[in-house]
Amino acid sequence: MATAVISHEEEVRRLQRREGWKRRLPILPALLFTIAVTQIPFLFTLFYSLTDWRIDTVDPRQFVGVENYVSLSGDKFFLDAAWISVQMTVMAVMGSLIVGTGLALLLDRKFFGQGFIRTLLITPFLVMPVVAGFMWKTQMFNATFGVINWVLNTIGIDSIEFATKYPLASVVVVLIWQWSPFMMLIVLAGLQGQDASVLEAARVDGATAWGTFRQITFPQLRPFLELGTLLGAIYLIQVYDHIEVIVGGQPGAKNLPFYIAQRSIGGGNRFGLASSYSIIVVIASIIIANIGLRVLSGLLEDNS
Amino acid sequence: MAEVRYEAASRLYPGSEIPAVNELNLDITDGELLVLVGPSGSGKSTALRMLAGLETVTSGSVHINDVDVTLKPPQDRDIAMVFQNYALYPSMTVAENMGFALKQAKVPKEKRNELVREAARILDLEPYLDRKPKNLSGGQRQRVAMGRAIVREPQVFLMDEPLSNLDAKLRVQTRTELADLQARLGVTTVYVTHDQVEAMTMGDRVAVLKDGKLQQVDRPRTLYSRPANRFVAGFIGSPAMNLVEVDRQKGGFSLGGVDVPLNDETTAAVAAASGSSMTVGVRPEHLALGSSGLAGKVTVVEELGSESYVHVSVSHQGSDEVLVVRSGGETDIERGDTVHIGFNGPMHVFGTDGERLGS
Repeated sequence: MATAVISHEEEVRRLQRREGWKRRLPILPALLFTIAVTQIPFLFTLFYSLTDWRIDTVDPRQFVGVENYVSLSGDKFFLDAAWISVQMTVMAVMGSLIVGTGLALLLDRKFFGQGFIRTLLITPFLVMPVVAGFMWKTQMFNATFGVINWVLNTIGIDSIEFATKYPLASVVVVLIWQWSPFMMLIVLAGLQGQDASVLEAARVDGATAWGTFRQITFPQLRPFLELGTLLGAIYLIQVYDHIEVIVGGQPGAKNLPFYIAQRSIGGGNRFGLASSYSIIVVIASIIIANIGLRVLSGLLEDNS
Repeated sequence: MAEVRYEAASRLYPGSEIPAVNELNLDITDGELLVLVGPSGSGKSTALRMLAGLETVTSGSVHINDVDVTLKPPQDRDIAMVFQNYALYPSMTVAENMGFALKQAKVPKEKRNELVREAARILDLEPYLDRKPKNLSGGQRQRVAMGRAIVREPQVFLMDEPLSNLDAKLRVQTRTELADLQARLGVTTVYVTHDQVEAMTMGDRVAVLKDGKLQQVDRPRTLYSRPANRFVAGFIGSPAMNLVEVDRQKGGFSLGGVDVPLNDETTAAVAAASGSSMTVGVRPEHLALGSSGLAGKVTVVEELGSESYVHVSVSHQGSDEVLVVRSGGETDIERGDTVHIGFNGPMHVFGTDGERLGS
């Protein structure tokens, strides 16, 4: 009898183990691939960041410990780029969030051609970053052919070289243009999840349109706005293409990813130092992503 | 203290040809609980929403206290509404939900808290004032929705199927509590439901709607004993009245070969009517199983304990008609038995147009 009971328990455990593997097995290839293409390069970067590796000298690569990191605090270019990164990310995220929320509020009502307008509004998000950059640089910002300067000229204002004079603002405008649709979709999901009778109840209770938005709609949108902010920040902290295309190497709009590229493959050849910058960006991104995931899981719990 | 009046009020939805509410005339007296009842699509909710200001009145007018409010927005009508799904503000606590309207009206915080606490006491919501709606049970949410309405001391309460999301037992309990609360507060109330039992038990008067048209408005007892037309006769009462199509003839009617006499007044009305047929209605309690009378076969026996309903299939004008007969509890009748039905109560007769003939 006793042996029978034990073998039964073992059988159950064996079945459970097999059940576990049945679930794990299908995602294993994707997991291995992801580890191979992200974690191995990351480990290399981590290793390089602890060396003085540069490829324009014959000196052998030497292990220098945390020297690269220590030097960062006094590196004016690095600090400038970090500050630009912060400014660019904050302005682009906030800007696209405000524009996106406005568009979502306009789209969250029935009108003729609603679906068509919504599709049109989403398109900027689907344009390739490089294409978007070129489009804005040549068709909008250009001092000679640009639409904006043409409008300015017709009302009697001289042409402005936007990309040269206001490099950071120019890049941020394009980023807002590209990212507003993303924010719009997230906020629209929040708005359409709203119960119509709650808004009617607010009207009966005497709330004004603005009062309803501030006291009822906005608190309900908050998790969606937080989600949009964090997803947007994770992406926008790594912007490179727009900067490269619109302002190129000129100062004033170089963020960290751009500076990293410049110091390494872009001609600087200081791979060890650039690697340490990358690690800093990765750490910053991980911190943001962690907060983001916490918000996301909070959102999912709220809905269940 | 308020009276409500609908004057030929209609609501025509764009793109539709038939009005959702068609020339509704209704006078609701001060302190009355009037129930709007009807099947889905009858326009009862639309009529309520027209009074709330949430639905445009396309013609006619709506008055509260002799003031024409037809074009006024909801917030200027001094009404409070309880929604079917309660429509509580999800981001606010119970206390904030209940005090929301007062806050919009800029009532000072102290006064507001006092009124909310008072309403919470009446509704047994005091322990939950700091909870969010999602942490409440269905019954508690329903009470918060009620509390949000009574806190304001409005002219009129509007209730749109407020009990339909509760389970059966809680619904019956809340039904009586709600009627009692309304009577105590004495606030004019318009109450929408599709449940005729709810309408009968709660309403001072009941207005029956069908296809946007008012069929009859009267006290529950009168609706039951003197339905104005065939629709009301079939809609009010559970189980429903037996309605059978018969030939129009002098002095009475023939059902399944058995002649049944009618009273003098009804006979006169039948004689004056047109058409070759008419509909006769008899409530299950006005039929009795006996040893003689209309013969039929039992198809279903519904035992409810104190009474039972026997469904009897009788042959009438070449087809089978099922009549429901109320019988005593603990009956020995079984499916397949042959029984005889006697007529022992008031008959309702309706003409070809469905209108009542006679008293």
